[in-house]
Formats: sequence, C-alpha cells, structure tokens
Amino acid sequence: MKKRTVNYSKARKLYLKRQRNDKILVIFFQIAVIVAFLGIWELLAYTGALDPFFFSSPSRIAVTIVDLAKTGNLFLHIWTSLYETIIGFVLATAIGYILAIILWWSEKVRRVLEPYLIILNSLPKIALGPMIIFWVGSGTGATIVMCILICVIITTISMLNAFISCDNDKILLMKSMHAKKYQILFKLIIPNSLPEFATALKINVGMSWVGTIMGEYLSSRAGLGYLINYGSQILKLDIVMASIVILCILASGMYFLVSPLEKRYKK
Amino acid sequence: MKMLLEFKNVNYFYQTKENEINALDGVNFSIEHESFTSLVGPSGCGKTTILSLTAGLLTPSSGEILLDDKPIEKNDSRIGYMFQRDHLFEWRTIWQNIILGLELQKMKKDPKKLAFAEELLKKYDLYNFKNKKPRQLSGGMRQRVALIRTLVLEPALLLLDEPFSALDFQTRLKVCDDVYEIIKSEKKTALLVTHDISEALSMSDKVIILTKRPASVKTEIKLPFTEASPLAKREDKEFGNYFDMIWRNLT
Repeated sequence: MKKRTVNYSKARKLYLKRQRNDKILVIFFQIAVIVAFLGIWELLAYTGALDPFFFSSPSRIAVTIVDLAKTGNLFLHIWTSLYETIIGFVLATAIGYILAIILWWSEKVRRVLEPYLIILNSLPKIALGPMIIFWVGSGTGATIVMCILICVIITTISMLNAFISCDNDKILLMKSMHAKKYQILFKLIIPNSLPEFATALKINVGMSWVGTIMGEYLSSRAGLGYLINYGSQILKLDIVMASIVILCILASGMYFLVSPLEKRYKK
Repeated sequence: MKMLLEFKNVNYFYQTKENEINALDGVNFSIEHESFTSLVGPSGCGKTTILSLTAGLLTPSSGEILLDDKPIEKNDSRIGYMFQRDHLFEWRTIWQNIILGLELQKMKKDPKKLAFAEELLKKYDLYNFKNKKPRQLSGGMRQRVALIRTLVLEPALLLLDEPFSALDFQTRLKVCDDVYEIIKSEKKTALLVTHDISEALSMSDKVIILTKRPASVKTEIKLPFTEASPLAKREDKEFGNYFDMIWRNLT
C-alpha cells in the first residue's frame, strides 16, 4: 500500500498510534511468553528441579532433532507423516464432499441414510483400528484409511448442513428463471457454501493429523507417530518431545496454509 | 378489452401432515396489459400463494390461470419474479448477477440479449457499478439490480412479492419511485403483493382486496390518480380517502 500524505487530525493520529502500539505490545508479549516458557523449562531442567529424563529440556530437544536429522532418518519420518496426512486430508475431503452432494440431491437417500450417518459419526473410529490392519495391511495404507475414516463423516455432515441451509427464496429465484437441478447445484448451492467449505478444510487439517498419528501408533514402520511410539518404548523421552515439537510446526504450517481461504470467503 | 392475466375460479389446497388447508377459494380477477395491480389482504391470507401459482411454481387444485389466453406452465418463462429481498449472489459481480437468467437458459452468448442487458444498466445508472460486488451497493441500488436481472429475460408479467419490505422507510420511498419508473418506462405489467396500504395506493392503477383465508376476492378498487410518481400520489387529496376505504375493507 502506498503511503498517503494526507494530513490527519490530531485525534486520528493518536488513534492510529494507539492501534500500532497495541499491536506491537501483543507481539512482544507473544514472544515473551514462549521465551519465558522455554527459559524456565531449561532452568528447571538444568538445576535438577525437573528430571530431564522425564521432562526433557529445550536444549536436549534441539540436540535430539539435530541427531535425528544426522542419523535417524528424521526427514523420512517427516515425509511419511506429511504424505499420509495430505493424501488422507485430500481424499477424505473429496469423498465427504461428494457424499454430501449425493445426499443433497436426493431427499429420499438422505432420509434413508441419516441414522447411519449419526451412528458412524458417534463411533470412535480408533475402535476400527485392528480391522483396518486386517483389511489393508499395516503401514501407510492403514494410516491413510484411518485418516479418511476420521474426517469423512464430519465433512459430509457439515457440508450437507451448509447445502440445506441455503435460502429457499434463492432456490425459488433460480427455479423462476428455469434453472435445472444441476444448475442450482453448481451456480447456487456450491458457491453459496464456500465459507462453510473453508471451515471444513480448517477442521480437517487438525482431524487428519489426529488420524495420521493414531494410524501410526497402531501399526507403522515410519512417521512421527512411529517415532513417538519408538521413543517411549526405548525410554528416550527426548525423541518423543522432539517429535511432538516437529508435529506442532507441521500442523500449524498446514493450518496457516488453509486459513486464508476462510478469511477470503467469510465476508 | 383483452386481458393479460386471468384467474378463473381458482382453488388451492395445501397438504400438510395434519390436514388439508384451503388457501384459495374461487379466486377471480384479471389484469390489463401495462397496468399496475396490487393485491392486499389480511396477513396469511394466501397472497404469496397467488404469486406462486401465477409463476407456475405451484399448480391450482382446480380452476384456470391464463396468461395471454394460454394456461400457465410449470416455471412459466413469461413470468418474472421479484422477491422480498434482492437475493443478489455475493460471489458474482453486478454484471454476472444480471445475466444469471441468460446463463441459466444458455443465452449468455446472444449478442442481442447482452446488448439489452447493457442498455438497461446504462439507462438506470448502474453501468459504472457493473464490475462491483453487490455488497458495495446500497440497498436501493441492489433492489434496482434485482429488477433489471428480472427484466433482462423480458417477462410479459412481473410479480413483486413485497419487494420493499426489507428496506428502511426513506430508502423504501425512493426505491418505490425508481422501480415504478422503470416498470412504466419498460411498459411492463406488474402484480404487486404488499401489506402496506399506502404502498399499494401509491403504485397501482387497481387494488384487489382479498378476504381472510380461504382467500377470495372481496372487492376491487380502481384508482383515479394521475400523478406521475408514487411519491407525488401520496400528496393527492384523495389519497387519505382511498386509504380509509381499503382499511375498512380489510377489517
């Protein structure tokens, strides 16, 4: 944006200055919180008030990450989890969305399937874990299936609600202009539900990471979930903490990639 | 004189889970070419049902509705419908909103229709807003866009379902004038549903008063006003008398 050379009034200048100062203050404290947290953690671990064996420490986590990167296939683990999450996320969103369209299209199908949707939605998907391993074998495939199971029903339910909540007068307007059903779908229902779609994407980012880590806990030979499991089994909690830190970074990275969409459509 | 729209003994029953509701009980009326008619009646009396039947969104249980001597078809393309709110699509620009109907009927590339749409925009001072989004326009302008969106399809009859009820009073008077002027200068026939008596009086040549449900026509009142605009009609000496006459008929 270009700097404008408008002469602002005194009150306006003061207001703008306050706004800017507020923003700087918030960012300052945000940084202060994380620095203080890491500092106190490190100090407590250093003085022995917290046992670093159980609680690790920021410096030990940093060292562990470097070690893992050098010798422990860290990037393979990151890549595996990232790959499973993205594939699971994309497939779940696509399948859930298409299911929602089918259910919107036919009220009969919707009424028949409604109770089953509710049952599937309330079932804790992790319970299906052992079955998934029998069906698709252990490893990446099982993790992706777990990921899809966790995200798909909730996507369908939230998109279906968005489709149905479209203003009835808008549909009548389309009908009064001779719209066919597919035109109502593509020119009204889908664009009208973009804000809800952006929200669904945001939720699915979180859910698909849950799916991936759960899937990897169940059975896997690589991935951050595997690394966490492995670290706890050999009692190296530094590895567990290091994996969690990396997981944090990846999940929030993906979240920030998706969230601008929501801002764009929510106006 | 030949009529544009004729309701001949139209009955309509709503089906609900509990029972059958008789909404219209032998409705008879007719509308002349290029006239402006208002339907008023107690709330819930079936005014909107009459519009839906005319638009072919519903079919009468018995009786006949003729437009230009031909029965109304399902979603009849000779009808243009304007709703209580403008229902402009926020994700489309003003221009894209206006050609929505053409797009739906696969006439998006018809140069004659497009030229007509453009001409309407220019004539009614919206051309500069062509590429703006609806949210950037005032309530009155949005309602004008909604009217043009309907006019682009060149309907023989315009149905207006309380099109001003969502606007504040000042905007409402202004938009009333605007819409009236556009309808008159495009030589359209209009049927307005409203619960606002002064709105009906200021816009119409004829007011049809309905009874409470099941609705039938109680009486028709022809209005003698000669003023050019709805706003000017409100100043007419007779305005108050006609207001009282309609009010008495409604209660």
